[in-house]
Amino acid sequence: MKVLIVEDNQELARNIRDYLGREGYICESCETLEQAKEKITLFQYDCILLDIGLPDGNGISLLNYIRAEYKDTNVLIISARNALDDKIIGLEKGADDYITKPFHLAELHARIRAIYRRKNLGGARIVEFNEISLNTDTFEVRVGDTLLDTTPKEFDLLLYFIVNKNRVLSRQSIAAHLWGDYTDNLANFDFVYQHVKNLRRKISYAGGMDYISTVYGLGYKFNSHLGANG
Amino acid sequence: MRLTTKFTLWYFAIMLVVLLIGGAIVYYEIQWKLGEVEVARHQRLNDIIALQIRDGGDYTGHPTRKRATVTLLPADSIPKGNASFYTRGLAWNPEFQTDEYKLMVTSFYTIGTAHYRITTYSFIPSFYQLLPGVVDSFKWILLVLLVLVIVSGGLISKYILAPFKRTMRSIQRFDLKQKEPIRLPETKTSEFQELNTFLLQLTESARKDYQSLKEFTENASHELQTPTAIIRGKLDLLMESDIRDEQAILIAEMQNALERLSRIHSSLTLLTKLENKEYKAGEPVCISNLARETLAAFDELIQMKSIDLRVHIEKGVYIPMHQSLADLLLTNLISNAIRHNNVPQGAAKGLIRVELTHEGLVIVNTGREPGIPTKELFERFRKGNSGSDSIGIGLAIVRQICELSHFDIEYHYNSGLHMLAVSFLPKLPASKLLQNLSLPLQVDAAGGRSKNRSL
Repeated sequence: MKVLIVEDNQELARNIRDYLGREGYICESCETLEQAKEKITLFQYDCILLDIGLPDGNGISLLNYIRAEYKDTNVLIISARNALDDKIIGLEKGADDYITKPFHLAELHARIRAIYRRKNLGGARIVEFNEISLNTDTFEVRVGDTLLDTTPKEFDLLLYFIVNKNRVLSRQSIAAHLWGDYTDNLANFDFVYQHVKNLRRKISYAGGMDYISTVYGLGYKFNSHLGANG
Repeated sequence: MRLTTKFTLWYFAIMLVVLLIGGAIVYYEIQWKLGEVEVARHQRLNDIIALQIRDGGDYTGHPTRKRATVTLLPADSIPKGNASFYTRGLAWNPEFQTDEYKLMVTSFYTIGTAHYRITTYSFIPSFYQLLPGVVDSFKWILLVLLVLVIVSGGLISKYILAPFKRTMRSIQRFDLKQKEPIRLPETKTSEFQELNTFLLQLTESARKDYQSLKEFTENASHELQTPTAIIRGKLDLLMESDIRDEQAILIAEMQNALERLSRIHSSLTLLTKLENKEYKAGEPVCISNLARETLAAFDELIQMKSIDLRVHIEKGVYIPMHQSLADLLLTNLISNAIRHNNVPQGAAKGLIRVELTHEGLVIVNTGREPGIPTKELFERFRKGNSGSDSIGIGLAIVRQICELSHFDIEYHYNSGLHMLAVSFLPKLPASKLLQNLSLPLQVDAAGGRSKNRSL
């Protein structure tokens, strides 16, 4: 997948590039609206990560341009302004999603995958990994042929793991993913622990492999190569 | 009191004073003029009599002599320098058989060598008899003036105050958040022009201050969130690298601190936005549905903590407020109830009661006794339990939302139970809701987790 990062902060752009690069994404980045326009005209991108506050103007204007000229490109808005107006305007003007700084890179990745699934895989919204398959329409999880009885949060969690497989997912990132931005009082990692524990138990019970492991001090990891990672 | 009424009353008072003085002047003027005219008439009569004497002949019985006395005077008794004088006063009028006001004019003449004193008199209407007439006519004048002042006062003030009223309407519609400067109606009245200029300057500076404050908040938010995002991303990447256990702990601690920083920051930004009244009430929000959704979202957490939850939600509770604020309010309150839930001593499990009616929302949960008075929990960075992980801003946000929406909010703690009530009705104090609570405040005897949703 080809991704264009329109972000004036180079460090942040590099973070995104590094993270997505490891997933095998081809990432390019630019810092101004002008450069972005040029790149969009010359190349084709599957997804554009668009910062709203750019040195030479508001990212929303670029969004208008993209929507007028390149309807199929996915746009994910990145903004530090938590202002509701921006969020609503962005989505009204045809952005596919909206993420607020500071975000976890795993969360950004999950959002990009979600947009991609929604728009590009037309209908077939099944995410598969080995014997596990998730249907993002019906929220059903199957291990082999066995239907898993998962709660909505467990479904979310498993999807988050599979999208970010072989990555260390911090408990903070998981909590933010499951409970959103305003989890003021809910950064209680016991809940994360409970959810992960239940999920592992349910998968094992249905005959699946125990892909999820604890990373000491940090969080959890979904290992795709069980043999290699132990 | 309306300005027009005030003006009319003042005018009326001034009119009364003017008419009283005017009445007195008119009264004395008439009285003086009447005397003057009468005296002139008698002097003329006296002159005619003097001419008759000069002519000679018998005028006895002539109409001129009806009320005249002619006296021949010795030469030395003529008063010097005074050809004529008059006297007046009450005297007996034999014709009408009553005391009347009598005017008597005495003139002195020298005809040939003889000196004459000629006195004529007449009865004139008494000034006291005129008084009622004067008073009466002024009464009518006052009445006519009063009617005119009231009628014209209403009409003229409507015309003159029209620009003022238009200015008032524009000011009432003024909103700090509006992008355009306020538009005030044109007027030719200099006072209103002055007022409009002043209002224009005032609203303009308020609007600009608001804008710059808003921009500052947004910029600060933008400038701080970006470095936080960078650090978070770097830590995410660092976690992936080959690290030792002790390094992992360091990273985890940094992650925690960063999480806190980011949450404090976004909460403070949100509070500022709330204080700036940036979220306006739109369509009425169905709180009933929202409460059910929020509870469903926290369902798993409630199960994990095996809390006894009882819910009573009335159907179709619509409140006009911003959707996001309603969401925030419920999320904050319910997550608080879960987060600070503790199994009380001697009980099997903690409990949460949620009651939503058209009057308000009550949330009761078991928990530790707060270390500070419950009122202070609404302050920023105040926590009931200083050791807890929360930053203590959730209830400050809740209070701000309640203030914005004109809700009354109450927080009570009583023997292990935290009770928080929000009243949607402006006239209903939240404490009333706590008295009318219908849900049981004890854990079910059966111990089963029951949901009592009356729909």
